[in-house]
Amino acid sequence: MQMQLGDAGEGILNVLLVGRLDTPGVDSIETQLTAHLVPRGARAIVDLSQVSFLGSGGIRMFITIARALGRKGGKLVLYGAQPLVAEVLQTTSLNDIVPIRADATAAAAVARG
Amino acid sequence: MHRRRVEIRFLGTHEGFAQAFVELRHALDREALDAAARYDCELIFEEIVDNIVSHGAVGDRAPDVHVTLEHGSDSIVLTFDDDGVPFDPRGIPDPMPAKSLQEAKIGGFGLMLVRHAASSLEYVRTAEDRNRLTVKVRRRPDPGGTSASAPSP
Repeated sequence: MQMQLGDAGEGILNVLLVGRLDTPGVDSIETQLTAHLVPRGARAIVDLSQVSFLGSGGIRMFITIARALGRKGGKLVLYGAQPLVAEVLQTTSLNDIVPIRADATAAAAVARG
Repeated sequence: MHRRRVEIRFLGTHEGFAQAFVELRHALDREALDAAARYDCELIFEEIVDNIVSHGAVGDRAPDVHVTLEHGSDSIVLTFDDDGVPFDPRGIPDPMPAKSLQEAKIGGFGLMLVRHAASSLEYVRTAEDRNRLTVKVRRRPDPGGTSASAPSP
């Protein structure tokens, strides 16, 4: 699992995730991702277009980080999920509590809030 | 109907889980599966074995886990057989929809995903005191034409 950080403009952080968000993938990235986003209360958009697998560990990770960001005035928005990953997001109703958008433009608009 | 059968046996530890997942993916590589069915198989394996590793140990003893994968023309059947703590996943309810992010539970999604991916789920506690969970996955049309088999880093 790999992670790349970029500037999406207007103080918004773009996070590109590449690989599988299965148990080993989450274990390899969760601490690092949390450390980059939570202490600064980041407004972040997460690009899922290169995530080929998402299991419940990834859902748990997104809820945990989004909740921590919310307490610090930050925001987490997901976007660009492949169809099978999007099906997992839909099945778990994650979009009821964490915004999910089709593309970076729409995600950034939500993050700007 | 002709069925091809693969057996994977391992100790229910994180190391055993990782090695078994590699074997599963090699077995799936040999089948002409649509991307959705492959994703479902990997998802079910991930969630069920993670539960066994996380909660199945009896004292300090990691469970012995035996997974069988049977391929048919219209379905794939995964059977998870382990000697860990008795656990019937059919009785575990899905998490309630969260009213807010702060109130959301962070657990319980694994079995929800398994139930969604499976076309049937059967459980017995065998006479040999083992859990036996049989999960059927129906092959289905590929919704997006994307492969779910990207290599692990």
